[in-house]
Amino acid sequence: MQKRFGRFSLDAAMSEGGFVCLAGKNGSGKTTFLRIVAGLTKPDGGHVKVNGSDITRLPIEKRGVVLVTPGSSIPGMEVDEHILLGARLKRAEVSEERVATVKRELGIDFQGRVAKLSLGMCERVSLATALLAAPAGILVDEAFSNLHDREGFIASYRRLAADAGIHVVFSTQDESDGRLAEHLYTLDDGRATKRF
Amino acid sequence: MNWLRVIALSFLFLLLVPILVLLYFGLGPLRTPVGYGPEVFRSVALSLVSSAVAATVDVVAFTPLAYYLARNRNRVTESLVDIPVSIPHPIIGVALLVVSSPITPTGAFLISIGINLFNSIAGLVIALVVVSAPIYVKSLQPYFESRDPSPEQFAMGLGASQLRTFFTVVLPDSSRSVISGALLAMSRGLSEFGSIAILAYYVLQSPFYGVNPASVLIYQYYSYFGLGAAVTTSVTLIVISVPLAMAVRFVRRG
Repeated sequence: MQKRFGRFSLDAAMSEGGFVCLAGKNGSGKTTFLRIVAGLTKPDGGHVKVNGSDITRLPIEKRGVVLVTPGSSIPGMEVDEHILLGARLKRAEVSEERVATVKRELGIDFQGRVAKLSLGMCERVSLATALLAAPAGILVDEAFSNLHDREGFIASYRRLAADAGIHVVFSTQDESDGRLAEHLYTLDDGRATKRF
Repeated sequence: MNWLRVIALSFLFLLLVPILVLLYFGLGPLRTPVGYGPEVFRSVALSLVSSAVAATVDVVAFTPLAYYLARNRNRVTESLVDIPVSIPHPIIGVALLVVSSPITPTGAFLISIGINLFNSIAGLVIALVVVSAPIYVKSLQPYFESRDPSPEQFAMGLGASQLRTFFTVVLPDSSRSVISGALLAMSRGLSEFGSIAILAYYVLQSPFYGVNPASVLIYQYYSYFGLGAAVTTSVTLIVISVPLAMAVRFVRRG
């Protein structure tokens, strides 16, 4: 895909699925890349395909891809209402067992209004919501960054996403986070390189 | 010496001088009993009720427009919203009169379904909606623009349409700004004169049969009884409408 903003140009390709780490410094184009995949930014060229379907021109709500950022949680909702939002929107049933597993694995042992939660708790709630919505892909833009047991959390998230057949791409500034993923791509000044 | 404060408060004072002078003369030297008689209170009641209904219509019908403009910058649509406030308000009254006249197809249709805008409560409310809706939209749009769009984008990624996102994510925690915008729209409705002096000089419907809106009554008293009656009536309206305008600030600040 290609995107140009003034002097900055993004020209990046990513072909691997599964649990993917996208590493790069500030301004390297990580957020732009993820926003193009999520349908929030229009690309100047190229295609976005998920599980073989071209979603480049589909509206955000029909792409089957959800972007999670540190500010994604919906402040006016209760935690339990929030984590089932995606399932409710799709009118899909989620077993109590699955909900309990996701909450336990992601450390959601708190209740109440999301507005009253800490940033880390909000990230957990948003990430759990995305998982329980069972989309084709989840794009995590720096939303693993405020968690106290970060590595354990990412490992649990990877396992839960794999169980549900969901692709995950998470962005980070730390290239060593690649060890937590199946594949590592690095972005440098708008150019993507596959490391493994 | 904080000169910024001195300059700012001096000009605020100058802005309020006409109102302060009016209050002094209306409550003192020029006080005239007709200015706080039963006819005035019926008029004020009509203006309060019609402005409140118009503000309610603004909330129901125009909150989505304020949100739409905040999230989809569109200069043409924004200019269209500005039209009713940027033209002289008597023109709005004349336009609504033409829309409801039996000689036009729209008027013939409205009359065939039993809707008459001329000298009716419906006409008064519609004129107030036309003049207050742009103020309401313009007061709410910056609030929606200032909201972090991330939760909305998240909900849309989960499969919610923009309309569903508006109702599920945005509206539940926007009540304070919506109420504040509605109070502002109601204040605007209370102060309207130009359009309603043409379309609804008085209304011919119960329970306000033969009653003028308050702004029209002030003009009428000025013409019939002179300055004293107009000043006293104005003070009565100010005493009722200023607390409403102040409530806008308190609601917004919480």
